Amino acid sequence: MSHDAARLPFARTEIREDGLALVVIGGAWSRDQPLPAIVVKGDRVKVTASDLESFDSSLPAWLYGNFRNIRDLDLSGLPERLQSLVKIAEKATLTAGDEEPLGFLDQFGAWGVDSGASWGRAFEHIGQTALGFLRMLVGRAKVNWPDFRLQLQTAGVDALPIVALLGFLTGLIMAYVGLIQLRQVGATVYVANLVSLAMTREMGALMTGIIACGRTSTAFASQLGSMNVSQETDALRALGINPVEYLAVPRILAVTLMVPLLAVFATFIGVIGGMVVACAGDLSVEQYLTQAVRAISFKSFLVGFIKSVAFGFIAAWAGCYRGAVARRSALGVGEAATSAAVIGITFIVVADAVFAVIFNLFDL
Amino acid sequence: MSEPRDILVCDDLSIGYASTVVMARISFVLPPGKILAVIGPSGCGKSTLMRALGGLDDPLAGRSRLLGVDLAEAGVGERETILRRTGFLFQGAALFSSLSLRENIEMPMLEFLSCPRKEIRQLAEYKLSLVGLADAMDKLPSEISGGMAKRAGIARAMALDPEVIFLDEPSAGLDPLSSGRLDELILRLREAFGTTVVLVSHEVPSILRTADFCIYLDPDTGTMGAYGPPKDFLHAGPPSKVQAFFNQARID
Repeated sequence: MSHDAARLPFARTEIREDGLALVVIGGAWSRDQPLPAIVVKGDRVKVTASDLESFDSSLPAWLYGNFRNIRDLDLSGLPERLQSLVKIAEKATLTAGDEEPLGFLDQFGAWGVDSGASWGRAFEHIGQTALGFLRMLVGRAKVNWPDFRLQLQTAGVDALPIVALLGFLTGLIMAYVGLIQLRQVGATVYVANLVSLAMTREMGALMTGIIACGRTSTAFASQLGSMNVSQETDALRALGINPVEYLAVPRILAVTLMVPLLAVFATFIGVIGGMVVACAGDLSVEQYLTQAVRAISFKSFLVGFIKSVAFGFIAAWAGCYRGAVARRSALGVGEAATSAAVIGITFIVVADAVFAVIFNLFDL
Repeated sequence: MSEPRDILVCDDLSIGYASTVVMARISFVLPPGKILAVIGPSGCGKSTLMRALGGLDDPLAGRSRLLGVDLAEAGVGERETILRRTGFLFQGAALFSSLSLRENIEMPMLEFLSCPRKEIRQLAEYKLSLVGLADAMDKLPSEISGGMAKRAGIARAMALDPEVIFLDEPSAGLDPLSSGRLDELILRLREAFGTTVVLVSHEVPSILRTADFCIYLDPDTGTMGAYGPPKDFLHAGPPSKVQAFFNQARID
């Protein structure tokens, strides 16, 4: 027991008459043991060793941590190999822990400034995208057309199975819920109107837009974010190629073209989904289809189509924007993907509400 | 005093991030066909200075004219035109990860040159063979070593026969033979095409062999410590940090 106690690291401080602080250290210094606490006043310190049995990096780290800002530090009383380990470490005048934590108001202010800057970057990116499209139209933009063809495939054709499944289930659920109500008034035939109109005007575009956010926005944010991390975006700029024109324009164009087509497909499949439920007991296939076709007007089709174009643009832009401003780390790429989906879905729902008001005003 | 034909003119330039100034009061003139080495301790702002000189980031203050144009004030089109006349090698090479080495070099050529595909392929193969990558043309960047990626990055920076080329630590990670070959390549490019080169390097033998001028960035004063031919730094004048940098590296 007494042997163990003698091996503990220790540090004693004496202040001499001439103002010199003499620190005597000894014992066995190890990272596995608590190190002695010490308070040193003054700017003249001499450190000596007494019964210093052994040490690992905990001792030079302790010396460095406690004495790095001492102006006149005398380590000549220490073993030479220990002196050299302390001296080779650079002097630092600032430590990370010196900064005081921000108060509530400061944090709120910093959040406000960050949000403002974030909105600024978003508008700047929208402006650059618009300029990129204009330059593409006049043939002055360098657009990666192989990427455009690839995105038509990955964001469009490859999404058919998931769009079909979710479109079918949406139509099915609407018909099921609609029938419960319509049976009470004996108007089950109108379930065809309900499903076809809702799918055409609203759900086809909305579901496809949300699927595009989940599949495509996140993919774009990850792709462009990773390119940011590996400086590939900088390399494009260094070659005189505008990254927004080269990377974002073909992606946004491909998705804006494909989402309306997918929405039309989702609408069709949704109407079929509704038919499966409606024709299971209440209606014949002929009755359902006749009623469904009668319910869909060109106006309704146009409303759904316009929405799906906008939703496609929003989904693709959100991915490209978040990817372009992603922080240069693995964490940054992950954050970009998450926020691309969140921004995309939020903007799509907000845009849907705005469309509802506008179409109501124009009696569409 | 700068001449109209000077490739790079810096006047009281300050560089940094957001509102943090890393280096200030940088002024120099680089005539055409000369090789400038930017040296200094790690983290002193050499790469930041290169990005500002190469038009990738705007300086915080002062003016920098690349090929006669102040890129901070130039429009999008003018900036891109100037950047097409320059080449840039990044510290991490920044190759396009989804393209093979050959496609990486072909990409800028396909975008900007109007010659047939066959000639572009030939040009790309020649540039890759110049940096000793003739046998790795169809490999992806993930399949090659860091040194090979660096060499491929140099080949891509040379793709459009730039008038000025920026190389951020071109010989870091290269074996001595490849490093010597790279110095030879830099000198040959200058001799054959009059290419101006700005490079960041820690390799003193390489700097002494290639550079006409040297800028030493001093992190203690936050500005340019010295500017002049590297050989002058070795012996002339009173002992300085620049001399210490050169002599320490030579001993290493």
